[in-house]
Amino acid sequence: MTKLKTILLASAVVLMGTAANAADKPVYGVLMKTLANPFWGAMEQGVKAGSDAAGVEYYLQAAESDQAAEPQLNLCNTMLERKPAVMITAAINSNILLPCLKAANDLGIPVVDLDGNLDPSINEKAGVKIAFQIGSDNEAAGAQGADFVVGKLGADAKGPVLVIEGLSGNITGQKRARGFAEQLKKTAPGLEIVASLPGDWDRGKAANITNDILTKHPDLVAIFAANDGMALGAVETVFAANKGEQVTIVGVDGNSDAVKSIKEGRLTASVAQLPYLVGKQAVESIKLVTEGKEVPAVVHVPTMVLTKAVLDAGTEPMLEFVK
Amino acid sequence: MSLLQISGVNKHFGAVQVLNGVDLTVEAGTVVGLVGDNGAGKSTLMKTITGIYAVDGGDVQFSGESLIGVAPGARRQRGIEMIYQDLALCKQQDVAANIFLGREPVKWAFGFLPGFVDKARMDEDALKMIARLGARIPSIHRPVGMFSGGQQQTVAIARALTFNPKLVIMDEPTAALAVREVESVLKLIRQMRDEGIAVILISHRLNDVFEVTDRIVVLRQGRIEADLQTRKTQMREVVSYIVGAH
Amino acid sequence: MSSTDMIAPTSGWRQLQFFFDSKLHVRLESIIVLVVLGVAMSVLSPYFLSVSNFLNILLATSTIGVLAIGTTLILCSGGLDLSIGSILGLAGVVGAYFCVELEWPWFMAIVGALGAGAFAGFVNGQFITRLRIPAFIVTLGMLGIARGIGLIIAPNGGAIYGLPGPVIYLGQGRPLGIPSPVIILAIAAVLSHYLLAYSRFGWHTLAIGDNESAARATGISVESLRRKLYTISGMMAGLAGLIFMARVNAGDPTAGYTYELTAITAAIIGGTSLFGGKGSILGAVIGALIMGVLQNGLNLLAVQSYYQQIAIGAVLILAVYIDQLQTGKEKKA
Repeated sequence: MTKLKTILLASAVVLMGTAANAADKPVYGVLMKTLANPFWGAMEQGVKAGSDAAGVEYYLQAAESDQAAEPQLNLCNTMLERKPAVMITAAINSNILLPCLKAANDLGIPVVDLDGNLDPSINEKAGVKIAFQIGSDNEAAGAQGADFVVGKLGADAKGPVLVIEGLSGNITGQKRARGFAEQLKKTAPGLEIVASLPGDWDRGKAANITNDILTKHPDLVAIFAANDGMALGAVETVFAANKGEQVTIVGVDGNSDAVKSIKEGRLTASVAQLPYLVGKQAVESIKLVTEGKEVPAVVHVPTMVLTKAVLDAGTEPMLEFVK
Repeated sequence: MSLLQISGVNKHFGAVQVLNGVDLTVEAGTVVGLVGDNGAGKSTLMKTITGIYAVDGGDVQFSGESLIGVAPGARRQRGIEMIYQDLALCKQQDVAANIFLGREPVKWAFGFLPGFVDKARMDEDALKMIARLGARIPSIHRPVGMFSGGQQQTVAIARALTFNPKLVIMDEPTAALAVREVESVLKLIRQMRDEGIAVILISHRLNDVFEVTDRIVVLRQGRIEADLQTRKTQMREVVSYIVGAH
Repeated sequence: MSSTDMIAPTSGWRQLQFFFDSKLHVRLESIIVLVVLGVAMSVLSPYFLSVSNFLNILLATSTIGVLAIGTTLILCSGGLDLSIGSILGLAGVVGAYFCVELEWPWFMAIVGALGAGAFAGFVNGQFITRLRIPAFIVTLGMLGIARGIGLIIAPNGGAIYGLPGPVIYLGQGRPLGIPSPVIILAIAAVLSHYLLAYSRFGWHTLAIGDNESAARATGISVESLRRKLYTISGMMAGLAGLIFMARVNAGDPTAGYTYELTAITAAIIGGTSLFGGKGSILGAVIGALIMGVLQNGLNLLAVQSYYQQIAIGAVLILAVYIDQLQTGKEKKA
């Protein structure tokens, strides 16, 4: 009996301690798309580092997949119940969170658009105000991929190119593919995109698409995939067909398994998104906003092209943010 | 020695006494009609014969041996078959698959692959059985669900007869049939009797019972109310026993 | 009526149908849909009609084909298994974890993938038959559980990359010029076809899917049969996970997302009933091939994603409609 009392007493003390601790520091609500993806895992690490540096607590929630739009809205509403000091949200699409963000506005909670999934014109119509948008520019990342391909093959290069898109209808994948296609057209008109097909973020599907297009265009010179997982699926198909020397393959994200593959000389390059840096800067910048300082409406965190040469040299300072 | 001898069988479910000292004998090559009101205990009595229910008291003897403690599958092997009211057919499978359900013969395919169902033999036996019953079926390769009620009844009977039973229990075999189909089922029952098989026919249709049975047993509130020679009784007498007005 | 009339129908078309249905245990209609689609693609794209492209299609179909085999057995028994896509992902992660993270010998990847799959299926079977929870609920629960465990095992929710050579060979090798996954699919299909169409196990599977109480009355052990079927379905998902992992050289916890629906679609296009009692393994493989041919053709034609979705949806409905047209005729006959 006494033992039970001791435990209860101890728990009460601990609980009070936590509450007191939480009261000391402001709590930031962080709502991500999902944690079932190394990209968001690295982003969380960045959020943690940023919170430690800024001296704030954070409370993180994520939906079960990056398709679970309505569950994310429910998470957002629940998060609002806890009255966080700020809300850093990576919306699954441009409209699902709007009612929740509007409510946050009404409560005077500043909102950050993490990873840039919201659309300013839609926000305006819905009456939602965003403190700032932070993330990598997905179109720029695609363009960077094109620049790399052109740099490697030459501006006067000719030959067929395959683009593997994300889930059909997904804005991130669309932006990357569009950025790649437009830049390629501008800088190397001889490189022709012969197919732009939906890989649905699925490695196996990307492998199949690559197989199909290699059948039609055995002289394929380059593949751009809207994420690393699909690029790695394409790599396996290309190497199984003994065309590893012939085809330049570029992914986006800079995942750890992509890094491994690049080091092995299989994947040619990945446009790294540095989600760690995005997470860290998001927390640090919103802290400035809460202190009444100015932050630009759009914060672009740079992306970098990871290649075997860059990784082997290891001298690039931004490499420390590749997680 | 009677083929089936039930003596002093009791059965209760909780506080409800369903069978109360039932005695019944059935001889080989006879048809016994079992009649009674709903809840008189007909189905329960039959299930103590097939082994689905264990008796609480009394004895069930078949060919001179007690069946107490013998599992349903083993009783089936000894020659007791039951044809259920809903026929218990797999409607999407063909005739042979239904007749041999759970007892499919197997062979070695190409001499070395084990466990192949011997479909050719099953089809052959199924055809023979249908022919023996003198029944008409469009094709033994059709799913039985495409057959008429009477044709399906034929398949259910064929299944019961394929493994040479000594006793066949039929639960309301004519209830769902068209008039002309009833006639052929009754014919089949007579045929079974002529081949020396004992038949217990449970039915609400007294006309049918009178047409094919040798004896009519009336069950009422878990007791044998009457055990009559079909030739020597009349519809009115049977009905009065059923309702307890005799 | 003579006895020969009772064995086989008479008209030529009917006879052909009968031959395919009862001797080969596959519906003639599914084959016709596949051939028509193939001819259409050959006309539309000059790259379609070649041995190497056919091997491509078979390779692309292997994962779904293996899943569809297990799904067909389950559907035939009147069951449902929604967890196979997630089990595919889990099996790949477990296999990769064994031989990459733990550095166990390469064949432990096979043991891990098949073992994880069979175990998940075994658990499904236990819950369904012993606790009498509907298969829909149990396997829906397993869909979440298997996916979650896979994501926990994989570091940071990412893939376990870089498998040993012999494992990769299972996905990328070409013994005799034929991709290994195609050979694996062929072996699995032939064995399962024998199981469903010619063994007592398969006949009893159809019987419990058709009329469970009738099957029980004849002495078939329904619960034990169901437990075996769910274990087989899980193991097939494990096998598909092994193929997937070997093809992409990584154990990816997100692999196989919504594949269970594709597998059910393949089975149904191949003539398997959603409600049990009727089905064909070869049909399921043909169903998977129909979708594979369609996907391959649309890729070769570089058709945009939205139109691809429409085309695939339309073919599903059409294929099942053609099948039902036939069943309707039989009923009237």
